[in-house]
Amino acid sequence: MKLFIYSITVSAVLILIGCQSEFPLNKDLTKQNYNFFNQDSVEISFPGINLGRITVIGFIYTHCPDICPMTTHNMFLTDQRLNKDGIENVNFVLLTFDPDRDYPSMLKKFAQIRDIEFDNWSLLWNTKQNTNPLLKRLDILAIPTDSSYTDNGELNYYVMHTDRISLIDQKGHLRKNYMGSTVNLDELYNDIKTLGKY
Amino acid sequence: MITLFAFLILFYSQGNILQVKNQWLRPGAKGMGTALYFEVENPTDKPDTLYKITSDISSMIQLHETYAKDELMGMREVGEFVIEPESSLELKPGGYHIMVMKLKRDIKKSDEIEFKLHFKNAGSIIIRAKVK
Ligand SMILES: [Cu+2]
Repeated sequence: MKLFIYSITVSAVLILIGCQSEFPLNKDLTKQNYNFFNQDSVEISFPGINLGRITVIGFIYTHCPDICPMTTHNMFLTDQRLNKDGIENVNFVLLTFDPDRDYPSMLKKFAQIRDIEFDNWSLLWNTKQNTNPLLKRLDILAIPTDSSYTDNGELNYYVMHTDRISLIDQKGHLRKNYMGSTVNLDELYNDIKTLGKY
Repeated sequence: MITLFAFLILFYSQGNILQVKNQWLRPGAKGMGTALYFEVENPTDKPDTLYKITSDISSMIQLHETYAKDELMGMREVGEFVIEPESSLELKPGGYHIMVMKLKRDIKKSDEIEFKLHFKNAGSIIIRAKVK
């Protein structure tokens, strides 16, 4: 009997640890509604519009040539792999943390040139003031660096930023963070399948 | 005999000049930026320096590196890339890259874009990089 209780306890603990390591976070994002404009300048609420589906969200700025395209490409590859498996109801979202330069029309071009289709992708924009609360909630930092003026007087700067892809579940809870540019694609794919019970 | 001699010269010279290979770049929309990547092999016994890149596609091209600071990623301009004797330099995502800003037109997957790489010793080398 003692042995039985012991083994039950051990397996319960193991199950708990297992669950925790798979999805270490459970942060409810629905307590506040965040409004954004999508690539067609249509106002949407986040995560409201995505509820009921899994959301993969990445954080970018379009003047970023190296890290952000890697993050975008990793999400694109994950979407393609899911499509191949017949899983088409996962949302992919890219949110800009450089709203002073990235307008919806630019975000749209950024996506189109990468063959992104908008059936299950949205690129989100709002003013800094309205973007910052969500960035803060998700622990995303974005700090402008190396500002300079070009020959024709335009302000140029880069942004030092958190390199991040996040996984949000069907109830609008943040469940796991990944390094955006170097995420293990198998891990992200398997987590989506686990979370969606596909 | 002459053929062999010519072959030897060709072989010798090929092994002894700076070479640029595996060049590629990412898609980018007009007005935005992208990154160009390649490898430079320097089989000579002298260091060489890549100090400038020019192209019709942009008049703002800089040598850059991506760096990590705590959990953040940033990038900055690097004055020049030195390729040491008998060694090579690899530009790749997340590391050294050529920052191509304010593209004059859209560049799409499978386009080929010409760039002129300016080296201190080897002079200028023209490459055609594929967009992927
Ligand atoms: Cu750069």
